[in-house]
Amino acid sequence: MDNLQIGRHISGQFNEDLERVINNVMHMGGLVEKQLTDALAAVDTTDVTLAKEVLSNDYQVNAYEVSIDDECTRIIAKRQPAAGDLRLIMAIVKTITDLERIGDEAEKIARVALENFSSSQQDLLVNLDNLGRLVLEFLQASLDAFTRMDCDAAIKIHQMDDKINREYEALIRQLMTYMMEDPRSIPQIMTVIWSARALERIGDRCQNICEYIIYFVKGKVVRHTTAEDMKNL
Amino acid sequence: MISISPKALATGSEPLIKTPLDLNNLSPEQVALDINKLNLYYGKKQALNNITMSIPKGQVTAFIGPSGCGKSTLLRCINRMNDLVDDCHISGEINLHGNNIYNKHVDVAELRRKVGMVFQRPNPFPKTIYENVVYGLRIMGENNRRRLDEAAEQSLRSAALWNEVKDRLHESALGLSGGQQQRLVIARAIAIQPEVLLLDEPTSALDPISTLVIEELINDLKKQFTVVIVTHNMQQAARVSDQTAFMYMGDLIEYSDTNTLFTTPLKKKTEDYITGRYG
Repeated sequence: MDNLQIGRHISGQFNEDLERVINNVMHMGGLVEKQLTDALAAVDTTDVTLAKEVLSNDYQVNAYEVSIDDECTRIIAKRQPAAGDLRLIMAIVKTITDLERIGDEAEKIARVALENFSSSQQDLLVNLDNLGRLVLEFLQASLDAFTRMDCDAAIKIHQMDDKINREYEALIRQLMTYMMEDPRSIPQIMTVIWSARALERIGDRCQNICEYIIYFVKGKVVRHTTAEDMKNL
Repeated sequence: MISISPKALATGSEPLIKTPLDLNNLSPEQVALDINKLNLYYGKKQALNNITMSIPKGQVTAFIGPSGCGKSTLLRCINRMNDLVDDCHISGEINLHGNNIYNKHVDVAELRRKVGMVFQRPNPFPKTIYENVVYGLRIMGENNRRRLDEAAEQSLRSAALWNEVKDRLHESALGLSGGQQQRLVIARAIAIQPEVLLLDEPTSALDPISTLVIEELINDLKKQFTVVIVTHNMQQAARVSDQTAFMYMGDLIEYSDTNTLFTTPLKKKTEDYITGRYG
């Protein structure tokens, strides 16, 4: 929060507006993190009740997105933020879009727990476990960096996505082998692939959040840049 | 410097934001005013510290900064208004087309013809609207009625005032509203075709709509003149200018294109000022 220096505006009202919107983003981040944790746990333990809970809680994530968006629009209209304040608002508006999409992906994962997997096919779902843990770790690290607006951490964890992509590809190869061995299991394996895909997308969205942090702190756009360029920041 | 990979760049389309001028490497024909190591003292107090900057031609350059930072002083240096202040000493140069305006041989009246100025409060002369606009031309010896009429119409059109006053050109200028008076003063300043137009907080005494009209006018004026504006209203600087200079306690802290200055200022002081934080 030190990087933000929100409390130093001459206008106390502006300070309050920014603090409120940032607090809301943090609550939203916490909620999305919980949704993903629950979705993964539901799949892991085939807990139908927990999965249904994830599905029914998604509206809360959506509601946060709408209200934060609204608040940001109001701040832009009323306060004409400039420089760091403007970058902060832009970073927030983009971050909540990604968070909302992460919420949607968590919902997709939870749906897997509602499908009828026979106990022999249950082993397939174990494969998701490792990827799920990695992605959850990435999401937590990204939200943590966002809370502190820690640019160095963002640059460092930005690379975690490569690891996730490698893990994802390995998992897909493995699942393809299963499909070739037993074509009857293809429908279930496809479900697992969709979940793996959802996890991989969450990784990309966490990477986006890291990019917004770097944009806010350094004022540099690092989207569509190579890993080499990132090192030279 | 971060480079964007080629595939990320849209090809063949117009860039959304014009590439800003490199203010440190302007070619001589791009420069209207070149300020070089300018120091100014009121008595013993130094009001401007070693200001060096190039103001590009045909663009709007804004000076912003807190009260007493020297922005109006710097503006007034450009047409030597500070000559009228007792006890004011200046060192350094301001070059207009390569000629130092502080050279001993410069005719100050001729300089002020080339560098016009508009002040905070509208100051029309207690004459008719028409006589206000052609005042400068008459002083320069122009008496041809037809040419004066033409100049008056053209100036009033440029100042976006013609339609409002064309039927009462020979009524007193003092009957106009504040916003109209300010546009009349601008028309008077541009009637003599200056090269540079200095605006010292031109809208601070006006209502929001008149302010917008003047801002729109400034945007039109830059096609013909180089405009330098001092404003207390940061959003105004952001709206109307191409370049912005931030000054603080007589120093030029940061000078760059307006888009950069208002989104990613380089200096902490600039950031604190434009975001309304304590310095």
